Amino acid sequence: MKYINKIILSVLALMAPLAACDTDALHELNVNPQALNEVNTNFMFTAASLSLASGGFSGDNRYIDWRTNMGYTMYFMQHFASTGLGLNSAGDKYYDNDEAWNAPWEFWYGNVGKTLALIFKQTSEGGFEEGQRPNMVAASKILWALNFHRLTDFYGDIPYTEAVQGPDGLFRPKYDTQQSIYMDLFSKLTEGINGISASNPDEGFAAADIIFDGDIAKWKKFGNSLMLRMAMRISNADPGTAATYVTQAVQGGVMESNDDNVWIPMDDGPSEWVNQNGISRAFAPGDGGQNRVMAKTLIDFLKGTDPNSVADDDPRLMILSEGIQGDTDPLNQEGQPNGLDGNDLDDYTGIPNTVANEQFSSANLKLFDDADPYILMNYAEVCFLLAEAAERGIGTVPGSAQQWYDNGVRAAMQFYAPMEPGDASMEVSDAQVDAYLATYPYGGGGVTGSESALEQIGYQMWASKFFNWWEAWSDWRRTGFPTLVPTDYPGSASPGVIPTKLRVPNREVATNQENYEAGATKPDSPVGKVWWDQ
Amino acid sequence: MKGKLLFLFLMTALSTQLWAQRTVSGKVTSAEDGSALPGVNVVVVGSQQGSITDVDGNYSLEAPDGASLNFSYIGYVDFVVEVGNQSIIDVVLQGDVTQLSEVVVTALGVERDVQALNYSVTDVAGDNFTEAREINVGNALTGRIAGVNVSSPSTGPAGSTRILIRGNKSLNGQNQPLYVVDGIPMDNSIGDQAGLWGGADEGDGLSSISPDDIESITVLKGANASALYGSRGGNGVINIVTKQGKKRKGVGVEFNSNYTFDVLYDQTELQTKYGAGGYNNGVSIAPQTPSDGFGQGRSSWGPALDGSPVYQWDGVQRPYTYQGNKFKNFFENGNTFTNTLALSGGGDQQTYRFSATDLRSTSIIPNSGFDRTNVTLSTNGKYFDKLTLNAKVMYSREKAKNRPTVSDSPGNAVQSIWYTPNNVDANLQKGPADRPGSIPEGLDPQMYTIYGQGGDPRTPGMEWLPASNNWGQNPWWSTETMVNDDTRDRIIGSAGLRYDILDWLYVSGRIGMDWSQRRETRLVPQGTGYQLGGSMQEGLQDIRETNMEWMLGVDKDFGEFGLNAFVGGNKMERSWERIRADGNGFSVDFFEAINNASSRNYNYGYNQSGINSLFGSVEVNWKHIIYLTGTGRNDWFSVLNPESGNNIFYPSVGGTWIFSDSFEGTPSWLSFGKLRASWAQVGLVTIGPYETNLEYGLGDSHLGRPMAGISGAFGRTATLPNQFIKPALSTETEIGFDLRLFQNRLGIDFAYYDQQTTDDIVSQTISVATGFGATRVNVGKITNKGWELLLTGTPIQAGDFVWDVSLNLSYNKNEVVSLIDGLTELTGEEPRTRNAFIKHIVGQPYGTITGRVQATDPNGNLVFDDQGRAVAVNDFVPIGQGVPPWGWGINNSFSFKNFNLDFLIDGKNGADIYSGTNLRMTQGGWTEQSVQGRLGEDPLHITGVQNTGTTEAPVWTPVDRDLTPEEAANYWSRLGDQSNGISTAWIYDGAFVKLRSVVFGYNFPRSLLQDTPIQNVSLSFVARNLWVISKHIDNVDPESAYSSNGGAQGLEYFAMPATRSYGFNLRIGF
Repeated sequence: MKYINKIILSVLALMAPLAACDTDALHELNVNPQALNEVNTNFMFTAASLSLASGGFSGDNRYIDWRTNMGYTMYFMQHFASTGLGLNSAGDKYYDNDEAWNAPWEFWYGNVGKTLALIFKQTSEGGFEEGQRPNMVAASKILWALNFHRLTDFYGDIPYTEAVQGPDGLFRPKYDTQQSIYMDLFSKLTEGINGISASNPDEGFAAADIIFDGDIAKWKKFGNSLMLRMAMRISNADPGTAATYVTQAVQGGVMESNDDNVWIPMDDGPSEWVNQNGISRAFAPGDGGQNRVMAKTLIDFLKGTDPNSVADDDPRLMILSEGIQGDTDPLNQEGQPNGLDGNDLDDYTGIPNTVANEQFSSANLKLFDDADPYILMNYAEVCFLLAEAAERGIGTVPGSAQQWYDNGVRAAMQFYAPMEPGDASMEVSDAQVDAYLATYPYGGGGVTGSESALEQIGYQMWASKFFNWWEAWSDWRRTGFPTLVPTDYPGSASPGVIPTKLRVPNREVATNQENYEAGATKPDSPVGKVWWDQ
Repeated sequence: MKGKLLFLFLMTALSTQLWAQRTVSGKVTSAEDGSALPGVNVVVVGSQQGSITDVDGNYSLEAPDGASLNFSYIGYVDFVVEVGNQSIIDVVLQGDVTQLSEVVVTALGVERDVQALNYSVTDVAGDNFTEAREINVGNALTGRIAGVNVSSPSTGPAGSTRILIRGNKSLNGQNQPLYVVDGIPMDNSIGDQAGLWGGADEGDGLSSISPDDIESITVLKGANASALYGSRGGNGVINIVTKQGKKRKGVGVEFNSNYTFDVLYDQTELQTKYGAGGYNNGVSIAPQTPSDGFGQGRSSWGPALDGSPVYQWDGVQRPYTYQGNKFKNFFENGNTFTNTLALSGGGDQQTYRFSATDLRSTSIIPNSGFDRTNVTLSTNGKYFDKLTLNAKVMYSREKAKNRPTVSDSPGNAVQSIWYTPNNVDANLQKGPADRPGSIPEGLDPQMYTIYGQGGDPRTPGMEWLPASNNWGQNPWWSTETMVNDDTRDRIIGSAGLRYDILDWLYVSGRIGMDWSQRRETRLVPQGTGYQLGGSMQEGLQDIRETNMEWMLGVDKDFGEFGLNAFVGGNKMERSWERIRADGNGFSVDFFEAINNASSRNYNYGYNQSGINSLFGSVEVNWKHIIYLTGTGRNDWFSVLNPESGNNIFYPSVGGTWIFSDSFEGTPSWLSFGKLRASWAQVGLVTIGPYETNLEYGLGDSHLGRPMAGISGAFGRTATLPNQFIKPALSTETEIGFDLRLFQNRLGIDFAYYDQQTTDDIVSQTISVATGFGATRVNVGKITNKGWELLLTGTPIQAGDFVWDVSLNLSYNKNEVVSLIDGLTELTGEEPRTRNAFIKHIVGQPYGTITGRVQATDPNGNLVFDDQGRAVAVNDFVPIGQGVPPWGWGINNSFSFKNFNLDFLIDGKNGADIYSGTNLRMTQGGWTEQSVQGRLGEDPLHITGVQNTGTTEAPVWTPVDRDLTPEEAANYWSRLGDQSNGISTAWIYDGAFVKLRSVVFGYNFPRSLLQDTPIQNVSLSFVARNLWVISKHIDNVDPESAYSSNGGAQGLEYFAMPATRSYGFNLRIGF
């Protein structure tokens, strides 16, 4: 036993430095040399800005547009048509598509919302940049309003007050009503507009601002224009609040020309998944390869009242369409009806195995360069909203409805130049606009000859939102204009009815079931309606 | 250390008178060369009396009447003799050839006597890896060890191997064992695997090892065996012992040459009667225009082949006839040529071994292969009697050429071949020789426009798509113009010193390093259908792991008791670094170099981690009959948070009782019998570096402006770090016995184990409205219970003829017991067909295949729609099991004079396969199944009901009719549909029986070699994977997984076809 004792003693002697196994050197191995405990929050602002366009910062920039903006709403809104039954054209026939429901939820909570929440957290009390960067924080509030109004517009009642607080342990956020979300967004937006000021120190804001390079005046106009959009969006549900904010927005100063448009600039690189325009990527023949066949509804609108006359055409016809396999004669342009499968299309054309792009107009590839800027909001929309407000008498709007309508049409037609700078074929002259307005004067029945003034505004707003199809869809849900004939195809999730809501994604239902059951907009189906659309 | 297999050999004796106490003397010599053996222990059995032989081998001692003497000497078989009335007993000791195999390398490289072990270990000798060899050594373990489930995905020559020991223990991580080479852990990072969207198997760490360097492989199966390795051994340990030099005269030279052919093992039975085309208004027509020829280049719903001229993808009309077996037309014969030269030798103080191996192989898929060079130098020395050194350096260079893409399409040539219609010859799609698979000059000009599919016309040099699907590659473009190459240089070095302070007390230290650098190049050429601009990646990855270890040990007998104990410590550090340059688009057309990329980007990744450990083990034995062992280890992890607990202690206890030595009068047929029992706990840390920290990182910049977010969580469903994670705990109890009967002619080794993992680290999916997709929590519980049986026997041993047989059989029952509160399932991987999911469901085994079933009315009738298509229930329910619970293998060895024949048959049972290939091939009209219902064939008849009411108020109207040919085509197509398909139609029983390996060898007799310097020559015919004796799946091999990921087992989708390999092995010794 004496040996054993000796052994135990020597073991104990060796064990003395054992506590030293839990060493600082070991702990330091878990300090990531490529990460920071604190970061300049301007860098997160840039990330959030880019994420609003195609979700660029998340490194998957064509997914959200391809699935939802294009796959769903550009077909809902009948700008495009497809015989396909797959994911990327599910909107043509109102097919269920969890990826289309899911994309805005994932990108706008999981990327934009999360990033903006961190900016607020770290610049407020206890944060590592407490009290700093007032302009960037104010601009972030404007982006916050854009991000969450879009989210609630799509889904209705959603997690809001408890949302994007994962780092604080809120894993199952409760749902808030759309009305309460809108009220909070108005106040956030007001804070943002009021908070941004040329007298604040720059603190790196201009350098981080990819949208306006720190132009404070443009930020204010953007904020007020967004307020106008949001106010008009709730104008049926809560006309009083709408009037208040329309007036406030106009007094604060909205956009005044296409120079004030809110573009997110894009780039070819360094990463195609981060820096390029996601819509362009989805359409690019060697990339996403999305079918560019345009819908009959849009082409008919652009061809004007008389399809056999060029004189009454919309000047945008041959900007949006590149022709049919090189045939650029405006008279020959034709759109494909929505809601057809391959056999239906053969019946429609009378040609066996019809190849759609051999028979119908394709959208112009010039609109879809990888580095083309991405539109968030434009002046034309502001004009049409003011026209509508004036026409309906909501709030205090200077000028007449017609004046705003004419400005809107002009701005919408002259909107495409930044896509192809210096290319005359993308430009529309004032004279062309004047001629169009002379052919279709405000209150004169529009292209169909029987449109009310409000309907005319609705048609023009709809046409002006090429690229921004999900916004066109929200406008249409609210105004009911233009009058679209729904498709009715077997297997549709809402036969004969254009969907009015995105379903809450399966994943959210599975992971936050109690709150979902208690708080989500019902029915949670494509024919459910959000608060402002009641 | 005592050998337990005693073979009596030779004895001479002279008898004298019977005395009560007598002096016995004699001489002990070696049977090998007759030399005297000094220092042999001679003991009177059952007493303290004993002696030692002198330098001349003589001994002398007093012994009582009726006593027995035990002669023992290291390296020789113990010999016991009854004294009787003898006074001179000369003894010849037999060299212990069996002793080596009775000593196994256990945890931490400690060699232990097999009889002391209280758990099951299995040893596989090196020959099994060198003759009928595999490039990846792991694959050679297939079917050989009970409880070890080897699955090699069908991903090409340099693919990874999945080894699962006693079931999946965690819902997180790879569940793969730790690999240890000569006591030093080796990095076995699994490279990227193909997934839902395709990809290539980027190999694993194990592929660096040359089989020619392996002396043996020991598998430590349970927690009990590997508890001393701590967390890293939680899924078992595979201990690789490399060959060492031996003391000998001169230099030993060994040369081994192995050449094998790899030949396509075509298991397809597709229809050969119908060609490209489709239905139009109820009539099946072949492509009518050049545009159709291209548009329908991947369809097989055309009419019966009739020889009429029909347009193909290139706008050319060719006879509508069967073009022969497309697989045999496309795939080549691969070959593998391996040459090894080894030199070894040494003297009393120092031995060495040097070996160099060169392996060159080509795959059956064109322009793909794997080359490997290994150089190993090892040395062992013993100085001043007390100091032992062993040192080794292994260098390897691996070169993989065009690892094939499997699963989904981009770049998947195998899929393109499957999709080739019967009337098309894919060899004609090769195009220009200098840019295979590209559009040639001089086609009918309208074809360039048709290829543009509405965009700009395609031009020569761009990919020549076989059909109007940008993602379905031209097979030649995939194999010869796309690039996915990598080269890995690796050095595994180790050195150990041991100092014997006393003859029973030692101290040792060891240091080892595993360092590898992998250089990879990937090219999506300019003009590729789905990415016209093309893209390129050049990457460099560096992995380094170092281990430093010390130990202090005792090994001493105290009378009837023996003690073997040690304490030690280990410090492990690992770093990983990757630098990658990405380019998109090329400035100079078709000049595909990263510096010609029109936009360039770089990527950098780095992490490091470490584990500090202390461990100890105490083993006490009584008369070498009863052994009790206790071990303990404490690990401190860098990846866990010190505030919430970054360390864990793992205990184990166990005992062994050799009952065959315990009693007088043990029957003679019982050569050896042992009972064993043990219990152990091991922690499992399945998270990586920095996963517990909330930090900020910088992502790509935009327009030169930096962008930041939460580090590692830029993505939209990123994992939120949880700083409170602690290790999961695996607890295992094992009992077993080991019996050897009839002079070892029959051996039975049985083990039963009961394992459970608690506090499993589970990735909990959380509401994305939190800003994150998941976080990790310690909540899961999963159990594995099973048994393993190993039977070994020598049924015939007659003169020169010996037949040995060994059977192993194992069963493992796995169950997911609980998950996160309120959750009953976790979702694993998903096949590209997107109508099945692998899920881990409470109450089911890990890796359950789930999918949709066909709806039935309240009376159980199948429901069809108005077009006769099956209607699916929209829920995903369990339809199969991805991981086989049963595994077995039978190895037979025959030897007759200089000939030997060895073959291994193995199988797995109880798992299912979800076959995406059969689904797609039926949807598209290629399978025999899809023939049913076509014009002139047996009609497709449906019997069931149709809902002629509404969803809310169904009216079930019987249907009982034949479908029209077009309806039948739609029926088949719908059956595999993403949103409405019937998943159960594509589930196959995964059970199989294979003839895994065959070796037929001949040893040239010495007489033939007498006048040459050659000492021995053996030549063998070798073969692997020769024959699928039984299976249940159509068209593909039952082992056709596309990924070695744990969450993808049971899924099959356009993997590489199976191969048979056979060839020769020549071994020459000088």
